[in-house]
Amino acid sequence: MSKCKVELAYQILKELHGEVVAEIARHLMKFGPRHIKLISEVTQLRVNQIKKGICILIQHNFVKFDRNKKGVTEYAINTDAVSLQLRYPRYIYCAKTLYGDAAELLVEELLQNGQSLMSIASERVTQRLNEALEATGNPKITSSLVRDKFGLLVKTHFLRRCQTVLTDDENRVISSEEPKETESLFILPPLEAGSKRKRNPDGSGPPSKRSKMEEMDIPPDDGVYWMINVERFHQYFRDQLIINCVNSKIDKQAGEIIRNMLRLSEIKTEPHSTVSATMTITEIFHSLPKELGMTKHIVEQYLSILTEDSVDVISKVCDSSGGLYVINIFKVLKSLCQAHIESFVQERFGSKCLRIFRVLILKKHLEQKQIEEYAMIPTKEAKELLYNMFAEHFITLTEISKTVDHAPSRTYYVFRVNIDQVARIILEKCYKAAGNAIIRRQMEVAKHKRVLDKQERVDAIIASLDQAGADEAQKEEIKETITPPEKEQLERCRTTVNMLEQSEIQTDETIFIIETYLYYSLLNTPIK
Amino acid sequence: MAANVEIKQEPVEGVDLETRIINLCQQNPSGINEETIKDDMPQFDVKQRVTAINRLLSTGRLEIFKSGSKLIYRIKDGQSTNSQLKGGDNQEKLVYQIIKEAGNKGIWIRDIRYKSNLLMTQLNKILKNLESKKLIKAVKSVAASKKKVYMLYNLEPDRSVTGGAWYSDQDFESEFVEVLNQQCFKYLQQKAITAAEGKSDPVAQKNGSYASSSEIWTFISKLGISKVQLAVEDIETILDTLVYDGKVEESFLEAQSGDRKRLYRSIKPLIETTGLMRMPCGSCPVVDQCREGGVISPLTCVYMKDWLS
Repeated sequence: MSKCKVELAYQILKELHGEVVAEIARHLMKFGPRHIKLISEVTQLRVNQIKKGICILIQHNFVKFDRNKKGVTEYAINTDAVSLQLRYPRYIYCAKTLYGDAAELLVEELLQNGQSLMSIASERVTQRLNEALEATGNPKITSSLVRDKFGLLVKTHFLRRCQTVLTDDENRVISSEEPKETESLFILPPLEAGSKRKRNPDGSGPPSKRSKMEEMDIPPDDGVYWMINVERFHQYFRDQLIINCVNSKIDKQAGEIIRNMLRLSEIKTEPHSTVSATMTITEIFHSLPKELGMTKHIVEQYLSILTEDSVDVISKVCDSSGGLYVINIFKVLKSLCQAHIESFVQERFGSKCLRIFRVLILKKHLEQKQIEEYAMIPTKEAKELLYNMFAEHFITLTEISKTVDHAPSRTYYVFRVNIDQVARIILEKCYKAAGNAIIRRQMEVAKHKRVLDKQERVDAIIASLDQAGADEAQKEEIKETITPPEKEQLERCRTTVNMLEQSEIQTDETIFIIETYLYYSLLNTPIK
Repeated sequence: MAANVEIKQEPVEGVDLETRIINLCQQNPSGINEETIKDDMPQFDVKQRVTAINRLLSTGRLEIFKSGSKLIYRIKDGQSTNSQLKGGDNQEKLVYQIIKEAGNKGIWIRDIRYKSNLLMTQLNKILKNLESKKLIKAVKSVAASKKKVYMLYNLEPDRSVTGGAWYSDQDFESEFVEVLNQQCFKYLQQKAITAAEGKSDPVAQKNGSYASSSEIWTFISKLGISKVQLAVEDIETILDTLVYDGKVEESFLEAQSGDRKRLYRSIKPLIETTGLMRMPCGSCPVVDQCREGGVISPLTCVYMKDWLS
């Protein structure tokens, strides 16, 4: 596991869940599955603290546990899941654009709690929505509406059930596992059943909440916990990437066609398959919304353009029934990932280096002399650029010796680019950059802590004055306690934090593309 | 009248005979003898043959050898230079031979020395001699600026030696290449824009944005930026650099004559700048040494500070 990724995960956890949780997580990330005693020995934390910390991590689906051969429960952390927290804003935004405000709040609620019951989550969201609606003077909505939204999100697989728990003979929870049938992850519980089951004292409910829950009525869907289905979100992001790629490569209309093709094949395509399910041209044509006003002839033309394009977005697999088409998901991802890598090379080393880099990608293996000729860069300059990239491991070198003694004069030195390796290097840099942004942001906040606190206090006082019905003059007076230089400081702090937060999200976009590409690429490499 | 005709015919036939003998020799590079000439052109008698061969021998166009009891005539190659080499000794001839073998790629002085087994001083003298006689010339290679290669005087140096159109006095003209690169791209871009505006049909739009290499060549020639005459191939190498830059796409069109026509069109970039590069850590040269609490640290980073203010 990469050092930078662990560091990034540590920073994220430290910010959201505090130092103790982060410390435990870092320990688990570094050393792999361990039991509580061992963690306590090394980290010098009290067992009690560790238990609580691990509870939090389990609640957020970061940690899995299992009983080992000796009968001791070991905890293992999923670093990927931890670092995904960087992407939470995107999940929430995605839910909002697809299904509206209620869905946004539902996703937010589930992300905040890690896992939750459908009844509780919908209840809270209804409450929050109503508060907001009341404030703006709109009529309230019922909780059934929110529940419907919840059902919709489950139906479209954006939400899923948590793993089922395994218990031993004494009814103690020892592990959890994915159910065998994936479909069972998306079955809604009967909410109206209302049978009051007796709660199992050692139930799967998270301990931090149990005490609170016992005081309340037992909800009808007790025991069925829900979480965000990250993979479904990623699939959506991936499709969005493909559409954007076509949009910028060809035009908006071609993008619309691809969007419809993706929608058509969505259910039929195997998850993580490199190509989509096949579609006939008639299917594609009929699925297109009428507003676009595309004739069949134009659709055919676009399909042929897409097939001939250098990115190879779709291919025609068969001529039967007017042509069968598939979307080359992996190829598009590869082009995209390569585009990001090229963008990196361009910014980091300059456009001449990019030329050399691309020459190597296109021509595979080249000697130095050939590179100079193809790229049309003078020898001296080309050497410098090439070795710069070589020093940063963006280019690999193979020695092919004519004789057994490997004498340099009788050896060919062949340069090449290994895309997967470069992708990993950049990924590593992304983790580092994201981690740095978080550290820097925290520092900026800490630096201006005094002013920020003051601002908060002032805001609180004004709010309370508002409730008490004080007049404007009084409020003005309070407001003026923040001096102009302080205001300026606040403003600067705000823009800084915004910039850093934005770059965290932007870096995460790069991370997403590279990670997705590498994942697919790994699936595609035959095992030796 | 008749005598008049005969006088007129005689020299004509003489010249005719000479060229025919030369032709015959060229057909049989291993050499010909009296019999072959007699079989080939029985109309000439011995006297005529002898005068013709004697003339050829004296002008140095034929060589005479003895094989057994017969005489063999063979065509003499490099007739003009051999006469110039006449004054030289065997060593000079040897060096000349070595240089000649190297063709228009030329040969390096050290390689001549190895091949000829001559001393450096001797060789230098010979080379100077040959050069002053204008039999050979020294050409500076672009591959190594200090390396001189020798080749025959009348040969046009190979592209690998002069570097083609992109070199002037062994220097690669990178600005020239850069300007051409930009001009070609501008042309293709303009073409793509007009194609996109003019047509609604997507295929026609795409086809309209393509330009063949010869079209671009005419455009560049008309611009008159180049002092040297560029070939279509030269423009193609420039266009290839655009392909490597990722700004242009290449396609082929099968012409009716069977040869491929190369088409180019400008393409839009797939993405904007990648997310990572929009913050200083992306292009930071010391990011590998950066850590919290270190000399280079995100807390004290100067790049960050500049960027944030």
